[in-house]
Amino acid sequence: MKDQQSRTAAGGAPAESVRNTRNTGPGRLLIAVYGVFAISATARAGYQILTKFSEAPVAYLLSAFAALVYVVATVSLAKAGTTWFKVSVAAVLVELAGVLVVGALSVFDSVQFPHETVWSLFGRGYGFIPLLLPVLGLVWLYRRRPSRTAAAQAKARQ
Amino acid sequence: MDAYFYIILVVGLVSTVLCLGAGILRKAPNDVTILSVVAVEATLVVYLVGSIVRVVAGEAIAGEAWEFWGYMATAMLLPPGAVYWSILERTRWSNFVLAAVGVTALVMAARMNQIWY
Repeated sequence: MKDQQSRTAAGGAPAESVRNTRNTGPGRLLIAVYGVFAISATARAGYQILTKFSEAPVAYLLSAFAALVYVVATVSLAKAGTTWFKVSVAAVLVELAGVLVVGALSVFDSVQFPHETVWSLFGRGYGFIPLLLPVLGLVWLYRRRPSRTAAAQAKARQ
Repeated sequence: MDAYFYIILVVGLVSTVLCLGAGILRKAPNDVTILSVVAVEATLVVYLVGSIVRVVAGEAIAGEAWEFWGYMATAMLLPPGAVYWSILERTRWSNFVLAAVGVTALVMAARMNQIWY
């Protein structure tokens, strides 16, 4: 990734396409993992709602909401531009809040939250990846923030 | 857990270790890492064909049938997707994407086994 950046900076021409994106290098791995979660969470929530919604409407609506957050995060991370950057930040922050709040509730109030969602017990059923993902996402978004990439772009033009 | 799971377990883990190793060594996706992911797809094809044969022969799936086939279809889409992506971006990071396929396939195979029995 590093040599790709220096190459485009030296070459000049394709600079702006590289600058304001988050879908190359480590971001590619992040999008892949988000994509897997988007697919599996959507499938699971759809299954829960279609087959046993009345058992635990809150938990299953939460599952659907989590799935939606993962879909938004996946798509926005893959797209270029400042607007999509903001969408990504919002989605990842919601995800972080969701895993912390739902995780805490499922631990302290297991009577109200007995049914499984992606975020239950801080994502234990998914190897704690749901807890790790938003942190990695925020780190990656910070490293590729538009203000910084704009500065790099201006530097490359000089 | 049946033989299909153990085959995917071994092939998936080998693929993940190879791809992780190549990524850590800062290599771009090469024949070894891409073919290891193709091998994962091949084991899933074997599982698919074996499962179709068993269903046609009259064996019943204990859990939800469409859930089983949904997992199967999703798992089979992962390797081609990851390989396609690794061809688009030939950096070390694509090796980590390829590495994710093996473990994901083995987790999904474990789930498929649970549904079947």
